Amino acid sequence: MVELKNITKVFNRNRPDEFTALEDVSLLVEERKVTVFKGPSGSGKTTLLSIVGAMAKPTSGRVLVGAREITSLPERFLTEVRRRTFGFIFQQFHLIRGISALENVMLPAYTTGEKHAALRERALRLLELFGLSAKARARVEWLSGGEAQRVTIARALVNDPKVIIADEPTAHLDTKLSKDFLGIMERLNAEAKTILIASHDPLVYESTMVDHIIEMRDGRIRGSGPAE
Amino acid sequence: MSLHERHRNIIDFALSSLGRRWKKNLALTVVYAFVVFTLASVVFFTEAVKSEARAVLRGAPEIVVQRLMAGRHDLIPESHIDVLRKITGTRQVQGRLWGYYFEPSTGANYTVVASGEPPLEPGTIAIGQGVARTLNAGEGDLIPLKGSKGDYASFEVVRVFSHESELVSSDLIEMHADDLRAFFGVPEDYFTDITLKVRNEKELVVVADKIRRLLPDTRPILRDEILRTYDSLFDWRSGLLLVIFAGAVAAFVIFAWDKATSLSMEERREMGVLKAVGWETSEVIAMKSWEGIIISLAAFFGGTVLAYVHVFFSSAFIFEPVLKGWAVLYPRFQLVPQIDPYQVLALFFLTVVPYTVATVIPTWSAATVDPDSIMRL
Repeated sequence: MVELKNITKVFNRNRPDEFTALEDVSLLVEERKVTVFKGPSGSGKTTLLSIVGAMAKPTSGRVLVGAREITSLPERFLTEVRRRTFGFIFQQFHLIRGISALENVMLPAYTTGEKHAALRERALRLLELFGLSAKARARVEWLSGGEAQRVTIARALVNDPKVIIADEPTAHLDTKLSKDFLGIMERLNAEAKTILIASHDPLVYESTMVDHIIEMRDGRIRGSGPAE
Repeated sequence: MSLHERHRNIIDFALSSLGRRWKKNLALTVVYAFVVFTLASVVFFTEAVKSEARAVLRGAPEIVVQRLMAGRHDLIPESHIDVLRKITGTRQVQGRLWGYYFEPSTGANYTVVASGEPPLEPGTIAIGQGVARTLNAGEGDLIPLKGSKGDYASFEVVRVFSHESELVSSDLIEMHADDLRAFFGVPEDYFTDITLKVRNEKELVVVADKIRRLLPDTRPILRDEILRTYDSLFDWRSGLLLVIFAGAVAAFVIFAWDKATSLSMEERREMGVLKAVGWETSEVIAMKSWEGIIISLAAFFGGTVLAYVHVFFSSAFIFEPVLKGWAVLYPRFQLVPQIDPYQVLALFFLTVVPYTVATVIPTWSAATVDPDSIMRL
C-alpha cells in the first residue's frame, strides 16, 4: 500500500538548530491492516506519519503509494494524492472555529469540484453515521471533546480515502471516549480502510484490533511485529 | 466535477470566512467605502460641473471684446462695433450691457444684464432662483434697487428663471437696456463689451489678432480660453479637496494595509488546516483573494453608488462650498447624471487592485507553509 525506503528527514538543515527527526527508516504499510506506531514523544512518530501521508517530503529516501513514487512529485500532484488516499485525524482536532460541524466535514472536498448539494448530502450521512445529525449545524466550538473528535473523523472520511492516519487520537480523551474511538476505527477497518495510528497510549496499542506494532525511538524503528 | 463548482465552493467558504470575522471586515469595508465615496464624489462632481459649463458655453459667442483702460475693464464705445463688423469673417457683432450689483442687506453680488429678444418691458425684471431666494421675492413683487446716483428704483418681478437653468442664472437680474443704462449710469453710446461670432472657427485666432491690431485699446477673449479657465478652476478646486482628504486616504491605506497584510494566528492556523486536509497552495490563495475581492468590490460599489446619489441627487451637499465657491448665492441645481467609464475604471484600479494585491502577498507567504506544520501545533 505505502512503502518507505531509507527515509531520512532533517529539519533546519545546515543551521545551528539542525535536527534529524527520522534516520534511514524503511517500512511497508500493509493494506487493510491496523498499524500502530508507538514510542515516546520526539521519537519521530508524527514526522513518519506526515511523510507516509504525503504531507511532507523526506530529505532523502523514496516513498511509494501503491506502485507510484510520490517523492519527487510537485505540490499539486502530491496534494491530489493526499486528498484521494489519506484522511487525517489530528491530536488537536484542528477544526475550523466559527463554522458548523457540517461545513468542517465538507471542507476537504470543497476543492474537488464536486457539486455542493451532493457533497452536503454525503457529509450529512457521515455525521449521521457518527450520531451527530443533531449537531450538524452547530458551531464546532460548542461541541464536546468526543463530538469534536467524531466530526474530525467524519472530515477525514469525506473524500473516501483508503488510509486513515490518526496522530495521538486519544491524547485528549477519557477512557470511554478512547474506547469509542477505537470502536469506530475497528468498524472502518472492517470496511477495508487501512488504519495508521501514532500513539503511546496502552489503550491503543494493546487493543485487539491492532494488527501490527512499530516501535520507534530517536527517529529510528527499534522494533516491529504483529500485535500480541 | 468542475472548475465552476470548485470555485463556487471556495467562494462559499470565503464568504463564510468573512462572516466569522464580520466586525473586523465590516469596519474595513465601511472605511474603505468612505474613501471610495470621497474620491468618486470629487471625480463625478468636477466632471459633471465642467461638462455642464462646457455645454452652457457652447452657445456663447466665440469672441468677447472688452475695452481696457489702464489695464482695467472699461466701457466700450459703440463706434467699435462698426470697426469689428468690417473684419472679414465676422458676423453677429453685438454690444452687451451688464454689470454687478452688490446688495448689502444680503451680502450677495448679483449680475445685472440687459434683456435680449424679446426685451422686457421697462420697469420690469426677470430674476434667477438665487436672487429670488435671497430677496425672498417672487413674480409680481416689487424690488427696490439702489442705482448709481444713490436713489432707489423699484422693479416688478415678471419672471423667475427655472431651476433647470440655475447653474447659469442663479445670480441673474435681467432688465430692459434703457433701465440698465439709467440704473448704472452707462452713457447712450457705450456698451459693457461687444460679442461677435466668426463664420469659420479655424479663423478665430486670426480674427482675434486683427482685433488687437485694429483696436489696440481692447482685448479679445476667446470662448476656448474661458473653457480652459473653467477646467483649470475646477481641477484646482478638486485638487484642493483631494489634498484635504489625502489625510483620510492615508489613514485608510495604513488601516487597510495593516488589516490586509497581517494575518492573525487564527487565520494562519486555518490556512495550515486547509493545506493539511487537501487544499493546494493556489486554492488557499484563491480563497483569501476572494475575501479581498469581495470586500473591495463591496466597498467600491457601495462607495460609488453613494457618491452618485450624493452628487447627482443631493447636490454634493458635503463639499459644495469648496467646489462651487464661497459665494452667498449657491446655485441649487441638479447635475445631469453622467459617468465617464474611464474615470470609474481609473478609480477601480486605484482602489480595488492595490487592496486585493495587498491581501494576496501575506496570504501567499502564509499559504506556502508545509501542510505538516499543523501536526506540530
